[in-house]
Amino acid sequence: MAVSTGGIKKFDFKSYLANTGKNILKNREKYLLILPGLAWYIIFAYIPIFGLSLAFKKYIAKLGLFRSPFVGLYNFENVFADPAFMKSIITTLRINAGRLIFVFPFPIILALIFNEVRLGKSKKILQSIFTFPHFLSWVIVGSIMISILGQRGIVNSLLNLLFGTQPIGFLGTPSYFQPLVYLTDIWKSAGWSAIIYMAAISGIDVEQYQAAEIDGATRLQRIWYITLPGIKSTIIVLFILAVGNLMSGGFEQIFNLSNAATIKVAETLDMYIYRITFRGSVDFSFSAAVSLFRSTINLLLLLAADRIIKRVGGTGLLA
Amino acid sequence: MVLTIKKAHRSFHNRFELLDAILLLILLVLAAMIVIPFISVIAISFATQKEALESPLLLIPMKPTIDNYYRLFQDPRILVGYKTTFLILLLGVPLNLFLTTSLAYSLTRTNFPGAKIIFYAILLTMLLNGGIVPMYLLMLQLGLINKIWSVIFVYGVNTFYFIVMRTYMTTLPESLIEFAKIDGAGEWYILYKIIIPLSKPIIATVFLFYSVDRWNEWFNGMIFLRRNDLIPLQLVLRNIVMDMSIVNSLSIAGPRVPRFTEGIQNATIIVTMVPVMCFFPFLQKYFVKGIMIGAVKA
Repeated sequence: MAVSTGGIKKFDFKSYLANTGKNILKNREKYLLILPGLAWYIIFAYIPIFGLSLAFKKYIAKLGLFRSPFVGLYNFENVFADPAFMKSIITTLRINAGRLIFVFPFPIILALIFNEVRLGKSKKILQSIFTFPHFLSWVIVGSIMISILGQRGIVNSLLNLLFGTQPIGFLGTPSYFQPLVYLTDIWKSAGWSAIIYMAAISGIDVEQYQAAEIDGATRLQRIWYITLPGIKSTIIVLFILAVGNLMSGGFEQIFNLSNAATIKVAETLDMYIYRITFRGSVDFSFSAAVSLFRSTINLLLLLAADRIIKRVGGTGLLA
Repeated sequence: MVLTIKKAHRSFHNRFELLDAILLLILLVLAAMIVIPFISVIAISFATQKEALESPLLLIPMKPTIDNYYRLFQDPRILVGYKTTFLILLLGVPLNLFLTTSLAYSLTRTNFPGAKIIFYAILLTMLLNGGIVPMYLLMLQLGLINKIWSVIFVYGVNTFYFIVMRTYMTTLPESLIEFAKIDGAGEWYILYKIIIPLSKPIIATVFLFYSVDRWNEWFNGMIFLRRNDLIPLQLVLRNIVMDMSIVNSLSIAGPRVPRFTEGIQNATIIVTMVPVMCFFPFLQKYFVKGIMIGAVKA
């Protein structure tokens, strides 16, 4: 309050300071309450962020994260000279761009179907079935996939029974890896993501539907002209978030679905960072340079997507 | 809320059209694609090796056996896994709730010096993060590698849950807090005697979310804990499934391994999954509310 009234009259620095001081004193217990959470954010969120400055340093274990000497852009020269790094960026973009096309629309369609279909109580049961896999880790989902998609798994058995095919190596064939990523992504999280859209649909004014009904609109027309425009802003926000994830999404999934046979097509940027940091010869400065590159691109992607959405007339994500 | 709106909208047309049949069929097929893998895993985990080999489309074992589970629990790793994960839950979730609740309440109103800056600094961490490399080096410097505390502290506040909780708390009437203050109550007293009892639904939601997150913990465990007597359950599952796949691929050429590896592998999936299944009905009761509060803000 002292801050806002200070600007009306001639700014009096002394009384501003005194007011702020009084305000701090009055709220001292609030600061005490903030302290544990704030301390956590400083130590475990902000120190790692500033720790990325290691990208410009040569890491010396004895000197630690902050006292290692600066080496300029030396690490980045090495990073960009590594063909595996460039390849991992292409792999990441290929997999995640495909997600925008194949995975992103699925929850929207599911929510529309759920909204249209006429079911009583059994709707809740169906909804539970679709949301359950979201709460399982990718380790569990990956293990389930290994179980059902293996040579003797139920999927191969079923195909054999129906079409007489030989067992297909779904998990070990590089060309099947990308579809596998999309299908398992849908399997695990489409039902969950659909909830957000269903919440948005339930917020649409019922009178619009009633008016359309009186005017003789068909169901498909109602979906197209009322439901979809009604959830447009939700779709946009989630799309921005998905674009912001173009460079990062899906480490846990890919880590648990890939294997020695598919690693060539599965090494995304995050997988690459994991490999160079925790497998084989370790150069933490090199890893930090890759991580800084990744974080920067992510942020730029998110800001760019937000800007584009705003330009085309959406509300955007950031104020 | 969802249901009442549907009913009003439904009453206009009660004919069951072809479209309804098609949509229902699509939903049922999709649901079957989710359910059948689970049934298959459960069936194999309770089957004998003979039955699994003879009927590849096994969904209901005729001669159910708990032999696979018996063998699984002879593997010392599974007990280590349970012990580690329960330790993570017991230490981690209370810390999560303490940090998130105190932070959400104290930042409900940002009308005191520094509050806005702190709030935006917290939101900024949703856009920016250092990633695993500096985090690993930080843990190294703090001497927490190979200690359970690394996994506990790395996940303190989930910014999304913080926003959800804070948004809920802003809807509580401010007059309650003002009256308590006139009566001379301190902030801690207000938080524990007024705010927390009134925020029970949202705290329950966030509690469940944190519990599931902690239960599903494996990545941080893989990075920070490299001791054989401190492995999260999820990682034990990963190790067992990976071991078994290797054994399986070897056994195609060589003589059959005496153990029914797939049975044990599927039994491991089940014992790792069952607690989430038990939690799920409660999760479901709260998650729509939680996600809607979050969606409004996001």
